[in-house]
Amino acid sequence: MKIKPGYLLREVAGNYIVVAIGEEAVDFNGVITVNDVGAFIWKKLEAGAEPEEIVKAILSEYDVDEKAAAADTADFIEKLRKAELLV
Amino acid sequence: MKLHRIADLYVGIDFKYPTMTAQTVKFLSDDRPEIVDIVVWASDESIQNTMKKYPNLTADNCEYLITGSGFYNSLIDFDGLMIHSSSVLYKGAAYLFSADPGTGKSTHTQLWKKAFGDEAEILNDDKPAVRIIDGTAYAYGTPWSGKTDLSINACAPVKGICFLERGTANEIKRVEPGEILKDILKQTIRPSDEQRMDKLLSNLDRLLRMVPVYRLKCNMELEAAHVSFEGMK
Repeated sequence: MKIKPGYLLREVAGNYIVVAIGEEAVDFNGVITVNDVGAFIWKKLEAGAEPEEIVKAILSEYDVDEKAAAADTADFIEKLRKAELLV
Repeated sequence: MKLHRIADLYVGIDFKYPTMTAQTVKFLSDDRPEIVDIVVWASDESIQNTMKKYPNLTADNCEYLITGSGFYNSLIDFDGLMIHSSSVLYKGAAYLFSADPGTGKSTHTQLWKKAFGDEAEILNDDKPAVRIIDGTAYAYGTPWSGKTDLSINACAPVKGICFLERGTANEIKRVEPGEILKDILKQTIRPSDEQRMDKLLSNLDRLLRMVPVYRLKCNMELEAAHVSFEGMK
C-alpha cells in the first residue's frame, strides 16, 4: 500500500494540502486538506510503511494511546482509499 | 515579436489576432534589455488544437488564452502568481476581489468606482499578476483582463485579497489563510510539473504570510464598496 504517484503533500501558511501534478492533475483538479496527524501518516505511507509501523511511529511522536493511534491511522487510510489515492 | 514591460518583466509576445493586438499596446516597451524574461506565443498548431477541443472558441479567443496561460505559468518562476480576481487600485494600494465566474467580482469593483470616483481605478478586471519583490506583494495590470480591456499598466502593493459571495446584507471578516487555501488554489493557474507546482505553493505560502485575506458577503448597493474598503483599509 502506497500513495499514488502524482500527488504531493505540501505545507502552505501552516496548513497541509494535497495537490495533483502531471496526468493526475487532468482528473483531479481539487485540493485536499490534511491535518497534522494525517500529514504524518501520509509521509509514512510515502516511505512505504505498513499500518502497524505507522501506529508505532504515532505513539512515539504524539501523546496518544494505542487505540486512538490505530483508529486515526485506519480512518486516514480509509479516507485515502475512498479518494483513490492509494495503489 | 514585440517587446513589452509587464509586471516589471521584459515579455516578448508574438500575436496576430485583434484582442492581443489591442490589449498589448499599453504595455509596449522601447527598451533594449540584455535579457528577455518571458517569451510567449500561440502557434497555429496550438490554436487549431484548442479550437478542436473547444469548438465555440475563435482563433482570437485561443491566442488570448494560450499566451495568457504561457505568461502566468512563467510568472511563477519570478516569485509570482495569477489570482483570478477583479483588482482595484485606490490611494496607492491594490485590493483584489476573487470568486467563481458570475459571482460579481467586476460588479463589486465597479461599485468602488461609483463610491470613490476617479481615484479608484480598475488595475485588472480579471487576472492581475501578483509578484513578491523584496518582501512586498505587488499587483500588476496585464494585457490579459478577461472579456473587457479593463487593465492599466500600473502596479501597487496588495492591501488585501477578498473572496466574495452574494448576500442580502454587506458583511466582511478577516479569515485565517487556511480557510481560503482551497479557494485561492481554484483561482490560479496550476502548473502540471512538480518543480513549478512547488514554486507556486512556496510563492503562495509567502503571499499568505504577508497579505491579509477576507471573506465578503455583499449585495449590489453602493454600501457594499464602503463596507469592503473599511474592512480592508
